[in-house]
Amino acid sequence: MWAKLALRLFFRELRRGELTIIFAAIALAVLTVFSLSSVTERIRLNIEQKSADFIAADRRLASNHELDERYLKVAQDFGLETAQNIFFDSMLFVDDELVLGSIKAVSNSHPLRGKITLRDTLEGEQYDIAAAPAKGEAWLSEGLFYTLGLKVGDKVEIGAGMFTVSKVLVQEPDSAFFSLAGNKRVLLNIADIPTTQAVQPGSDVFYRLLFAGDEQILKDYYAWLKPQLRENQNWQGIKDRQSPLGENLERSERFLLLAGLFGIMLAAVAMAVSAKRYCERQYDPVAMMKTLGGSRDTIKRIFLMHLSLVTLSSLFIGLAIGYGLQEVAVDYLTRFVANELPPAGPRPWLLSIAIGVVCALMFSLKPLLDLFDIPPLRVLRRSLGDKLAVSRIHMAVSVGTIFMLMWLFSGDIKTTLLLFAGTATLMAVLFGLSRLFFSAGRKLGLSPGNSWSLAIATLQKRANANAVQLISFALAIKLMLFLFVLKNDMISDWQMQVPEDAPNAFMINIGERDVDQFKQFFAEQNIHHEAFYPVFRGRVNALNGEAFARRVSKQEGEQEQDDARSGVGRELNLTWTDTLPDGNEILEGQWFEQTDELQVSVFEGTAERVGIELGDTLTFLVNTQTFEAKVTSIRSVDWGTLKPNFVMIFNSAMAERLPVTYFTAAKLEENHVRPISRMLLQYPTVSMIDIKNNIAQVQSMIAQVSLAIGFVLSIVLISGALVLISQVQASLAERMQEVVILRTLGARGRLIKLATLYEFLLLGALAGFVAALVSDITLLVIQQQLFDVEGRLHPYVWLLGPLSGASFVALIGYFMVAHTMRQNTQGLLRKVA
Amino acid sequence: MSVLSQLNIIQVKELGKTVSTFEGDLTILSDINFSVKSGESVAVVGTSGSGKSTLLSLLAGLDIASKGEVYLDGEALHQLNEEQRARLRAEKVGFVFQSFMLVQSLTALENVMLPAELAGEKNAREQAQALLEKVGLAHRVGHYPSQLSGGEQQRVAIARAFIGTPKILFADEPSANLDSKNGQLIESLLFDLNKQHGTTLILVTHDEDLAKQCDRIIHIEAGQLAKIRDGEGVAAHVG
Repeated sequence: MWAKLALRLFFRELRRGELTIIFAAIALAVLTVFSLSSVTERIRLNIEQKSADFIAADRRLASNHELDERYLKVAQDFGLETAQNIFFDSMLFVDDELVLGSIKAVSNSHPLRGKITLRDTLEGEQYDIAAAPAKGEAWLSEGLFYTLGLKVGDKVEIGAGMFTVSKVLVQEPDSAFFSLAGNKRVLLNIADIPTTQAVQPGSDVFYRLLFAGDEQILKDYYAWLKPQLRENQNWQGIKDRQSPLGENLERSERFLLLAGLFGIMLAAVAMAVSAKRYCERQYDPVAMMKTLGGSRDTIKRIFLMHLSLVTLSSLFIGLAIGYGLQEVAVDYLTRFVANELPPAGPRPWLLSIAIGVVCALMFSLKPLLDLFDIPPLRVLRRSLGDKLAVSRIHMAVSVGTIFMLMWLFSGDIKTTLLLFAGTATLMAVLFGLSRLFFSAGRKLGLSPGNSWSLAIATLQKRANANAVQLISFALAIKLMLFLFVLKNDMISDWQMQVPEDAPNAFMINIGERDVDQFKQFFAEQNIHHEAFYPVFRGRVNALNGEAFARRVSKQEGEQEQDDARSGVGRELNLTWTDTLPDGNEILEGQWFEQTDELQVSVFEGTAERVGIELGDTLTFLVNTQTFEAKVTSIRSVDWGTLKPNFVMIFNSAMAERLPVTYFTAAKLEENHVRPISRMLLQYPTVSMIDIKNNIAQVQSMIAQVSLAIGFVLSIVLISGALVLISQVQASLAERMQEVVILRTLGARGRLIKLATLYEFLLLGALAGFVAALVSDITLLVIQQQLFDVEGRLHPYVWLLGPLSGASFVALIGYFMVAHTMRQNTQGLLRKVA
Repeated sequence: MSVLSQLNIIQVKELGKTVSTFEGDLTILSDINFSVKSGESVAVVGTSGSGKSTLLSLLAGLDIASKGEVYLDGEALHQLNEEQRARLRAEKVGFVFQSFMLVQSLTALENVMLPAELAGEKNAREQAQALLEKVGLAHRVGHYPSQLSGGEQQRVAIARAFIGTPKILFADEPSANLDSKNGQLIESLLFDLNKQHGTTLILVTHDEDLAKQCDRIIHIEAGQLAKIRDGEGVAAHVG
């Protein structure tokens, strides 16, 4: 019986358009969450996959000593794919020419992720392949072909073995940023190692095991592996900090997460506003139904059924539009990225459906309960029950729901709390301030004779409502400004990391006597280069006389051992200089002053991890010599730049104590390849590391993430705009009666339109200003807390906020009132009477 | 312009109103002719749906006629656009509605001040305060409509109607939403103030007793002017 009535009413409501507001809000929330989460998920997976290419695996284990075979076997038992790499240096002979090559022997399954770029001849087309050299074959990097005067098909002697040169090695997915590989790389099959006889007890060999597979299995495997790892065995993943990629990846993930959270916040606000408005519009019909004898129970069933029908249909439509939207976005994105984006899986579906349902229930529940409490007397006294909607419980439920949704979406309590607490506190402060502002203005006693006065009078007279509206305007504008500025900052930060003139090659091992010749060569060839740094290898042995091995092993259980640049327990590139390198900042102590005492400056991460403090004494072992140096400063280092960075830097007192080689970086163009190869031929000890490809990879990743962020930002902008529109619309509905009375009493259309325009102009500008202020402060905190970058203020936002707020809010308000003005007064009078 | 037409503050000629519906055109009013002298009180009576409220909205310029002419204080309403009619209302017309129509966000005093402010009058506050005293609400000037009873709200509406001393006051069933005691209070206030200010009163009602208190009574039946007769108000004038 009631169901039939409910259905009839439902379709009538649909026709009247009353339900469209609530329908649109749920659909908006669902489509925002769906399209945002699936696009970001697909991009994230793609970026992760691409980043995995950078280490040719999902995880790897590296060591200076041979790794236990058991590690591989157990990994395979876990169901992981595995590969093996062995690195060593060996002489290459071709006729009378000889050169020291950097050998990398790989198992047949290498690479597990990414592809190796090859050419069949020196002049041939390059192509990508995921394969290892066959037994008896060697793939050589281009530089070696010139140095040794080789062509493809020639024979080359490596150690004791003879190999056929079968390919030109153009690029490896896992070429490290600052390794000693470079253009002297030789790729062999691991099965050929015995033939070379190059790996003997005591040889300087570096071992790597590569793993790939499901994230959970990798975690489980690591849990098994971790207790067995020794000090010199490093577990590495793509997201390890202190690598430009890891850091950028993490930042972009955080951005996408934040954007998603903001999208949800905006959709939730839209939902809360429209649910309240819908229920308020039902006050009269409910009062009437009750008057006519409808029981509370019947009314409850009718409206709960309406809510379910609306929720279901809007879920369906929201998902359909969201799916279409993300398809369009992904289609657009794939034009810019070479590969297909991987599918997102069930998460976006589940998440958006859950959020749609939770939104519908939580935001409508309190207004609905209020609706059931509407007294039938309202038929006679229309104002009865008007106050019900503004209740603390509704506020608390809504706020709680928003928090829950954010948490559900992010799965990250810290970010959620930070964002939520910040926004909530600021909203509370804002509410108080705006109430003060509006009620203080009221005492001025302006007489509304013209549009401005009427606008101000209306603002003052509706202090409470305006404060609420101001907050929601400010919130929407704030979120949009925030993301806009953050996006600009992030992208410009990234672009700064790889500027146009960034060096793309490093020269290592330049003898002290040869530095001048290299400088001269660079000048002749017009090659831009950086300073020449003295470099030597050494390790830290002891802190304040206590040996490190023991100290570290004591804490082994508590700390992660996967820090590739930990700076303790393995050989490091060390340097001395009296000039603080770019991108370094002294956090504690002072940079070196002229002294004969040996001093050292330590990277903060290492200092913190190992427990090095200012004034401590570190013992270094370099070759067979031992040095003691006093820690006089702790430095921050920007690992995000592609410049050389050092964990430990000595003062120039080190200069006289050791023979050193030099190190520099240069920007090489295509026409420099041959001259530099010839130059290097004269200095066989000098190695060149080509990072051109790494730079290109980073740049392509930045381009992809920028695109993704642009897309996410536009979705958030649309949600924000919809919130603003729904707010203006809701407030106009409230104002309708006033507009009609003013009109009846003879106020001219121009006066009403201008008064509304000015009122919204003031409100928008104020909201925009507050939004700019809050956004910039939040940004400052977020950048420092979540992104680990130095926050800065953005004066342009303080102008952009009020301007965009005022123009957007005023424009919508003006057009909506102008629309009302076109209707005939008697018609409007009937509507509100 | 003749002396007679100057005295006729409202003049209605051949007035008709037709609206389009799904089932074709529907005539709400047709061939209405009458005039009202300045200071006169006229009741418009008729059954529900007879067209009396439509007549009032046409006389006040809230709606436009499909045919015919309406002159309000010498100005041809049918030739004015919405804006000009709004200006005319601001200058010469006051309203009292069945549903009070107070601005909820304004206090009683501010509601009363509103028309005077719209007309740009300087002493709106003083006028409003005086009028609220007259309707017996001097102690409730700072209250919002939601804090007032129905009778009190209608008294505020009456005070608002008389501010700026309009030449013509339109009242649409002013006591219909009130109990008999409050209804009588409102009615006597309306007539007293009307007399004091010399305002022309057009009162739409279906209450015969109330209508009788006016100078003349216009009967509308099925959209047509059925008859015009004198009310008891005439005797009061004469007396």
